[in-house]
Amino acid sequence: MRIAVCVKHAVDETELKIDSGGKPLLSGATSRMSTFDKNAVEEGLRLKAAHQGEVVIFTVGPSDSKKTMKEALAMGADKGVLVTADTTSIDTMRTASLLAAAIKKAGPFDVVLCSEGSSDTYSGQVPPMLGEMLGAAFTGYARKLEVNGQTARVERSLEDSLEVVEAPLPVVASVVSEINEPRYPTLIQIMQAGKKPLEELNGDQLQPAGAYRQASVVSMSAQQSARKHVMIEGSPDEAAAKLVEALIREGVLSK
Amino acid sequence: MSGAVWSYSENESVSNEVASAAADVAKGASAEPVVLEIGAVRAGVRAPGAKLLLKGPATSDVPPEVAAEAIAKASKQLQPAAILIGATRYGREIASRLAVKLTVGCLSEVSKLSADGNALAGERNAFAGKVVAKVSCALPAIATVKVGYYAAVESAGTAVTESDVGQVNPLVKVVSREKKAAGAVDLRSAKVIVSAGRGVKKKEDLPMLEELAREMHGALGCSRPLSSDLGWLPEEHHIGLTGVTVKPDLYLALGISGQLQHTAGMKDSKVVAAVNTDKDAPIFQASDYGIVGDLYQIVPAIRKALASRR
Ligand SMILES: Cc1cc2nc3c(=O)[nH]c(=O)nc-3n(C[C@H](O)[C@H](O)[C@H](O)COP(=O)(O)OP(=O)(O)OC[C@H]3O[C@@H](n4cnc5c(N)ncnc54)[C@H](O)[C@@H]3O)c2cc1C
Ligand SMILES: Nc1ncnc2c1ncn2[C@@H]1O[C@H](COP(=O)(O)O)[C@@H](O)[C@H]1O
Repeated sequence: MRIAVCVKHAVDETELKIDSGGKPLLSGATSRMSTFDKNAVEEGLRLKAAHQGEVVIFTVGPSDSKKTMKEALAMGADKGVLVTADTTSIDTMRTASLLAAAIKKAGPFDVVLCSEGSSDTYSGQVPPMLGEMLGAAFTGYARKLEVNGQTARVERSLEDSLEVVEAPLPVVASVVSEINEPRYPTLIQIMQAGKKPLEELNGDQLQPAGAYRQASVVSMSAQQSARKHVMIEGSPDEAAAKLVEALIREGVLSK
Repeated sequence: MSGAVWSYSENESVSNEVASAAADVAKGASAEPVVLEIGAVRAGVRAPGAKLLLKGPATSDVPPEVAAEAIAKASKQLQPAAILIGATRYGREIASRLAVKLTVGCLSEVSKLSADGNALAGERNAFAGKVVAKVSCALPAIATVKVGYYAAVESAGTAVTESDVGQVNPLVKVVSREKKAAGAVDLRSAKVIVSAGRGVKKKEDLPMLEELAREMHGALGCSRPLSSDLGWLPEEHHIGLTGVTVKPDLYLALGISGQLQHTAGMKDSKVVAAVNTDKDAPIFQASDYGIVGDLYQIVPAIRKALASRR
């Protein structure tokens, strides 16, 4: 079985600095593997363990993304394909079309895995776009995935229900974090990852930009929040009574 | 901008929210808001503007693959200026598929939508809500609309026109669908939300928090791990980036650390109070009132304090 896993090198929101003018300092910001993509890699490795075959990592991003790809290789993936592009200025459609082109070039694949949404932008658009572009079945928010012969059986986690679906291979799926517990690579695996094949393709050469107007970010500013930060002291009973009093004073509790 | 602004959601109440967004976009531009229905007109969708019924697909159940194909067919015929889809788990798939089928740019998770000359403009969270981004896409454009931002607009019966889009044969077959553990609350309209995090040790302890919520005339919400990883509450109860966005008068966070992805969903609450054993928990940075303490002691104490006032 050939398994493709799409992994994003995403800005680490916890490390992102804001300048004095309230603008995020994106150039030079630290990036790391998008949180839930670890679950996608893990699921790819589990499918390989059950069905043999190989796991190929696909990333669209700057050269620096190799750091993230090596982490996926250290977890156990076999090789990687990096499509270089400036991910700060392209939209989800362009990202998906570059992934689709790279996956077609290295294909065919039986299963293509993504996560439900990337940790920095969380749009949840790349996976279904990819399914549509590859002409494959797509199923999102998988919390369980099994392949029997030429059919994938997926348990999808929706807002208020669980849906079981079946789809013919090839299938593109996005996973939620509860699907598995991602493994940590060992030191030896981390050292060996450097020797695994990592191909680099230039995005503009691979696939020229399409004939539509891209969605774009016009400006960014830090989220404003003004809270009182009053810490209430005392025994549990005293603190609770003071809190209730304060909330009534604020007019947010009816007596 | 001219032409129509279409809105759709498979969920009735989200459909009413997206219809408000469409009405906002249409206002100020010479455009008309149109609410899409697929298969059948739903009584619970009380939207401003006209309704367009896409006939062809079966009525009872419209999976995202079918909705996307139906809307794409109608759109190629009728050429709307913009299509707004509720950013639910189904909705994100519908919008993304539509964008590819129509080769049109697609904004995601947007609020404060407007028509800006020849573009669709709006705002969205970025970097787990640390940053607000103004986004824009030239028309024709698609957007997924953040759930919980727009209030539904009440409106009387509207004219329905029809368009036949024919049968759609999906690749993905639904084998079964099962409701998750019942949750009768509507977090988005609750004035008070008591919210449970991993500080709650076991599922059996939730009724204590539910009681507190009831005594405060509010509803029980939670952090993502409680609904996703532990499955103690349905997914629609979790608040944050991947769950619902709420803005109650009072948000009481119990045993929630306050990671950015969580606060992204409750930062517009009027008053925030938090109880956490860790004095350095980030939730205190997002709170008006904080108690460093064990929720298993503080919750009964709050209930006692409330009772003594009655
Ligand atoms: C892309 C992405 C999207 C996400 N979206 C969401 C989202 O929408 N919503 C969401 O909530 N999370 C989301 N998360 C997860 C988020 O990052 C946090 O992991 C999650 O919010 C943590 O939940 P928690 O605060 O309940 O648990 P923890 O972080 O484990 O915190 C538990 C807290 O309880 C305190 N505590 C322990 N015992 C007690 C006690 N007896 N009394 C009082 N306090 C106690 C601890 O000090 C701690 O602060 C997302 C993550 C990613 C990567
Ligand atoms: N630049 C990228 N490179 C590789 N995979 C990506 C990229 N962007 C998004 N993805 C995949 O699509 C998923 C959802 O991303 P998004 O649509 O941005 O929320 C991610 O979790 C990845 O699996």
